[in-house]
Amino acid sequence: MPVISPNAFVPSAANDAAGPVAADLREKVRRLERAYSAQRAGQEAVPFGVPAIDALLPGNGLLTGALHEVEAGPAPSGRVAPHDGAALGFAAHMLSRFGTLRPNGTLLWCRRPFGASDAPPYAAALAAWFDPSRLLMVTVRRDEDLFWAMEEGLRSGMAAVLGETRATDLVAGRRLSLAAEKSGVPALLLRGQPAPAQSVCTTRWRVASAATHSTPGLNDVGAPRWRIELRRNRFGAPSVTETPNWLLEWNDETHCLSVVPQAFHGSTRESDANLFETRLVG
Amino acid sequence: MRLADARALLPDLVTTPGEPQADQRLIETLANWCDRYTPWVAIDPLGGALAEEGVEACSTGGFGGDAGLLLDVTGCAHLFGEGEAGERALLADLTERLARHDLTCRAAMADTAGAAWALARFAERQADLYCPPRGHREALAKLPVEGLRLDAPIVETLLKLGLRRIGDLYPLPRAPLARRFGDQPLTRLDQALGMIVEPIEPRRTPPAFRTRLAFVEPIGRPEDIAAATSRLLAALCRQFEQAGVGARKLEIALYRVDGSVDRTSIGTSRPNRDNPRLMKLFEEKLGELDPGFGVELMILAAPEVEAWEGTQDALPDAGAIAASLGEDGTIDLADRLVLRLGAENVVRLLPRDSHLPERVQTAGAAAEPAAAGAWNRVAGMKGARPTRLLQRPEPVDVMAHVPDDPPSVFHWRQHAHRIVRAEGPERVADEWWRPRPDGSRPPANIVPPYRDYYRVEDDDGGRFWLFRDGAYRMAANGRQTARWFLHGFCA
Repeated sequence: MPVISPNAFVPSAANDAAGPVAADLREKVRRLERAYSAQRAGQEAVPFGVPAIDALLPGNGLLTGALHEVEAGPAPSGRVAPHDGAALGFAAHMLSRFGTLRPNGTLLWCRRPFGASDAPPYAAALAAWFDPSRLLMVTVRRDEDLFWAMEEGLRSGMAAVLGETRATDLVAGRRLSLAAEKSGVPALLLRGQPAPAQSVCTTRWRVASAATHSTPGLNDVGAPRWRIELRRNRFGAPSVTETPNWLLEWNDETHCLSVVPQAFHGSTRESDANLFETRLVG
Repeated sequence: MRLADARALLPDLVTTPGEPQADQRLIETLANWCDRYTPWVAIDPLGGALAEEGVEACSTGGFGGDAGLLLDVTGCAHLFGEGEAGERALLADLTERLARHDLTCRAAMADTAGAAWALARFAERQADLYCPPRGHREALAKLPVEGLRLDAPIVETLLKLGLRRIGDLYPLPRAPLARRFGDQPLTRLDQALGMIVEPIEPRRTPPAFRTRLAFVEPIGRPEDIAAATSRLLAALCRQFEQAGVGARKLEIALYRVDGSVDRTSIGTSRPNRDNPRLMKLFEEKLGELDPGFGVELMILAAPEVEAWEGTQDALPDAGAIAASLGEDGTIDLADRLVLRLGAENVVRLLPRDSHLPERVQTAGAAAEPAAAGAWNRVAGMKGARPTRLLQRPEPVDVMAHVPDDPPSVFHWRQHAHRIVRAEGPERVADEWWRPRPDGSRPPANIVPPYRDYYRVEDDDGGRFWLFRDGAYRMAANGRQTARWFLHGFCA
């Protein structure tokens, strides 16, 4: 896709007569190119915290006045993942990044419970990413209420707004991203699997749980590892691969994310396979 | 008179069965409607006590044609005119409006509730229904003793003794009267004459702050109702300001032309008298109100207020202002969310001193977040916690090689999860110091029940939080069994 630079529309001194027209056009292009309008409104990007990913994002980070989506991905084997605990952890990491903008601001978390087998986010784990006392938890019965609550939150100067939903409502998504743009407050959607194919977000991430790396000689569960795909990246730098993906490791002692070198990763997969065999034999 | 006797006298008598519940509802609707005159409205508790002997008084107080409402209109009549004229106008207005609803009523006004009660029932001339101030002693003298709200046997004896009028009791010596009939006649007489106070117990606690707006023509359009609300709110906010209070709860009532009343209320999490902010909350709720065929009167009341001196203007420090704005934004947002979704659905997470995972977090009011750092202890706890915790642990089928080992396979929702990595156990014992759900205390000398938690990873990269409920037990078939549960999903 050709990237149109806004500089192409800067009028030269020669065609000053067409000044208003050019200014008009420029304005139009800027309006089309939301990234610029976002920048004009004084919105900034918060670094994601992983240099390899930040390099691809506009402004070297996550745009604050925008809608971002995190969806749960399938398990490494291709099966539907049994739960979205990894996506939730990733979303919590993004919330904590956004939360640094207003260190004491409230984080609005809206969700729609799923009956008796409902599993709400657990504050004791979220505490690794941000102070749970900043959370304002909202449970709704209908999707309309969820989008309404999120929009109200965006307009009320929250530090960030997160919504957990399975609803595919493009109009609501559009409204959310406009509200986010206007207020400069970041909005996050956390979606279970399968996520809808279309959406209007600025960035869209697919997060799947990946096998961890045990301490050598032991069988313990290592630091959480996530396979991340950046499936949509508006205004961002084009990537070499179609959907850039990384294997990230969350270090719960230093509280930071880092990319796991692929070769190293490969070797753990191998050891996994060996492990299975020994188990199967044993 | 019995029905059979009545039918004998008038063969084509129209009869309908009594409906005490419907009567009760009607009198309650009427009581609501009377709120337009005064907040001090009570349903006369003696409504059915004087019912004729042989006619069974219904359990709710008996409204068989003897129903009554007591209104304390002290300080309310000036809305209808100055002094006595205003009081007369109020009475006329009440009677006329009720007549418009096809209700026959007799309304009397006097200095005491007892006198008004007697006048409404026993006054002979229409003009006697209004008793001017301090004229009740005279007015009562002419009325029959039934007007004193006495028990039927006492009235009977009084009549036998020739004491037919209330005035006949005035000159009697009090001591013999009390000896003969007990306290009741004297108490009732004193109440009627205003010697002892007889407070009216209102059905709803009258609010300290209240504004009303009556319309010449009934209104019904939502925008008119919103405009009227905003005018009422402005007036009420001025009252708040003078009194130095802020509203915690506001209630708006629409008095519809058909005599029914529709109400709705808003609550705020902090005392508030900010007109635009309260109006915004009302805008959410006004849609629920049904104006019916038209609204002729609106009353805005504040049932709950709190002393509040307002916020002091901050010094021009940009940071502090931004911080307070952000906090205000949260409170306002919480109020709006609570209004639409209910208070139990908009909560803060508060930490609790407990080791049981499901007890660690609890919900608190939206306006009161936990202190910063309250979660530090929980965050610093050893042992990884799941990002999602199941509301109710789900039982899973498990295969474990060795009883104390983590399982090798577990079945959950028709899927087998082969475990390749596991961590644990982390033993969490029951809190013996807390009483059991049935209120009894666990005996101190036994080992409290415990759970062994394991964090496991299956062959597909999924991480789970499982626990074994207690130790392995010998089952009936001689095999060792234990119950396993899935309690959470890890990152």
